[in-house]
Amino acid sequence: MTDPEEKSIDSASVKMIKKAAADGVSTVFDRAEAIKPCPIGSQGICCKNCGMGPCRLPAPKKKDEEKAPRRGLCGATPETVAARNFIRMIAGGAAAHSDHARGVAETFLAMVKGEAPGYGIKDEQKLFQVALDFGVEIGDRDIMEIARDVGEIALAEFSRQDGELQFLKRAPLNRQKLWKEKGIAPRGVDREIVEIMHRTHMGVDQDYKNLLLQGTRAAIADGWGGSMIATELQDIMFGTPVPILGKVNLGVLKKDEVNLIIHGHEPLLSEMIVIAAQDAEMIDLAKAKGAKGINLAGICCTANEILMRHGIPLAGNMLQQELAIVTGAVDAMIVDIQCIMQSLPDVAQCYHTKVLTTSPKAKIPGAIHIEFSEHNAMESARAIVKTAIENYPNRPPNIEIPDEEFDLVAGFSHETINYLLGGIYRASYRPLNDNIINGRIRGIAGVVGCNNARVRHDDAHVTMVKELIKNDVIVLQTGCSAMACAKAGLLTPEAAREFAGEGLFSVCETVGIPPVLHVGSCVDNSRILMAATAVVKDGGLGDDISDLPAAGAAPEWMSEKAIAIGHYFVSSGVFTVFGVTWPTIGSEELTNCLFKEFEGITGGMWAFEPDPIKAAHLMIDHIDTKRKALGIDKARERILYDMAMRRELEAV
Amino acid sequence: MEYQIEEKEAPGRGKTKVLGSTFEEGKPQGEDLGKWRQKLRDRKEILKYLEEGERYWFGKEWYGSEKRKVPA
Repeated sequence: MTDPEEKSIDSASVKMIKKAAADGVSTVFDRAEAIKPCPIGSQGICCKNCGMGPCRLPAPKKKDEEKAPRRGLCGATPETVAARNFIRMIAGGAAAHSDHARGVAETFLAMVKGEAPGYGIKDEQKLFQVALDFGVEIGDRDIMEIARDVGEIALAEFSRQDGELQFLKRAPLNRQKLWKEKGIAPRGVDREIVEIMHRTHMGVDQDYKNLLLQGTRAAIADGWGGSMIATELQDIMFGTPVPILGKVNLGVLKKDEVNLIIHGHEPLLSEMIVIAAQDAEMIDLAKAKGAKGINLAGICCTANEILMRHGIPLAGNMLQQELAIVTGAVDAMIVDIQCIMQSLPDVAQCYHTKVLTTSPKAKIPGAIHIEFSEHNAMESARAIVKTAIENYPNRPPNIEIPDEEFDLVAGFSHETINYLLGGIYRASYRPLNDNIINGRIRGIAGVVGCNNARVRHDDAHVTMVKELIKNDVIVLQTGCSAMACAKAGLLTPEAAREFAGEGLFSVCETVGIPPVLHVGSCVDNSRILMAATAVVKDGGLGDDISDLPAAGAAPEWMSEKAIAIGHYFVSSGVFTVFGVTWPTIGSEELTNCLFKEFEGITGGMWAFEPDPIKAAHLMIDHIDTKRKALGIDKARERILYDMAMRRELEAV
Repeated sequence: MEYQIEEKEAPGRGKTKVLGSTFEEGKPQGEDLGKWRQKLRDRKEILKYLEEGERYWFGKEWYGSEKRKVPA
């Protein structure tokens, strides 16, 4: 086995990888050594869309074979096959975000109808924001009437058969115009996803450029549709995030309390568990079982949701889900949807942890299923908390909780950034734009995405983000990427002094923000779209997102959701770099289209660079190119003219 | 509001009582910590804030640079 130190840069994870080995437990890190990626599948050139295949179209190894045609049985070229596979990844990712959003919209409507006790409206301001976007009358109407209209329109967005998604109107005017001109403004989220599945069926769309355009429609429908609907409705029900202090890493687990980990992506159940865990009856029950209390912690994006709104600590990111159980101190792990490893019940068998599935869409053999329904959410939440408490006395003797825990500040919604930069009476993105124009801030980067066991855990995220902030690029983060950087101490205001360049540090110190802003969960990448739009609309940095000195990255991406997110950023005009591997590399023509030609279509383009330092410099080079195009490539200080200087001007 | 009186040393005058800060200290504690959205108390204030603070989307007279008359 490779040295555990090589598997993660996080010392808590390394300790648990060693403990797992000592306990005889197999983890994703072991499996990554045992199973190598399929060399043809990883290049995107294996077509298994019909029973005549799978057809594998590897590039010839010998030079003289270079021009030999590569075709599947139906005649499909590597370009067609790679494009089909690529946009099916977009469909998968967009479906995941959007089905999450649909669940939120359904709960929202149930809440309005009084059929979801325990849920309510926490943020009227966000409700009115969305109502204004949807053209819902506000006036003196009852808040629940407004909410009903908002919920019904939101739900109808998924099955919209024609026209355009409502939230596209939020984008910069030139972006909307470009989407219309190119014919890529999406209809309903479901419709665009279904059309991908149709077009990629055997014998339908066989023009790779045409396939990519459909992928683009679905991706935009994800970012400016499904994901944005999820973010907005969650904010209305649970509150728009504001800066909050939290803690991160496995050290947040407590030896003498019932440890309950919430893992997955939806906040619908976890919000209720937060309440149930504070219930006096539950705390008394925990004490009766010998524990001092109940300790909630999170993994993955459910964790981000409850961190941002309640300050619940983060136990870790995606690759730490098994390692949390390996501590022996987790009494129950509650999972909902997405990024949940099927191995969890196997790992749990070696300890005492109960793995509880809660969604009818996501069951795992070996786990206990306690179905969650919005109609009796608190009842389900209490049953889950009780299960964890009752399991506390069964703890094994070999408990080892790493000491590592770090502070972080999260909760930077785009509305809060606006407020922090100007206050209630002068809320504005102007100070940010001014500091980009004067060069103190070189540009903006969104660094997001997953963990991937094919590379050293957290390394690429942390290395890339440190390089960016050192070069005065302010970084917005979501998901597992934010957790990786939080564990490295980058999400505190103090990090600006230690890691940021002089210009970025001066701005962070003045405003009192970290150089790396935690924006939320993976559906909250829609908040980054909104922040970028606000920067455009404030003025002085071009007329579209593609004019901004900005770039995006997912250096440790793994899931189809990451591809969907990356593609909606590219489709919104952002230069986006992915690490680890690239899923169309088997077709040079298609890859060139995504990496070069796409800039001519959407103003954004993809790039692939596994080395995080080189990737950071690709982003910085792109930022510098945009600065030059805007005429702000040389740092200029604002000069306050005194009377003598004015007279001098007049004399000229 | 109740005025805060602070005792300070003044040069050549020894200890003297001075009026303390008369503004809200801006350090909310507990539940209110950082929850700026609660500062907007009613629908009228919220809608006003949306029109002004979130003017990029809801301002009636906001043009930014994307509607400029002379192209950049």
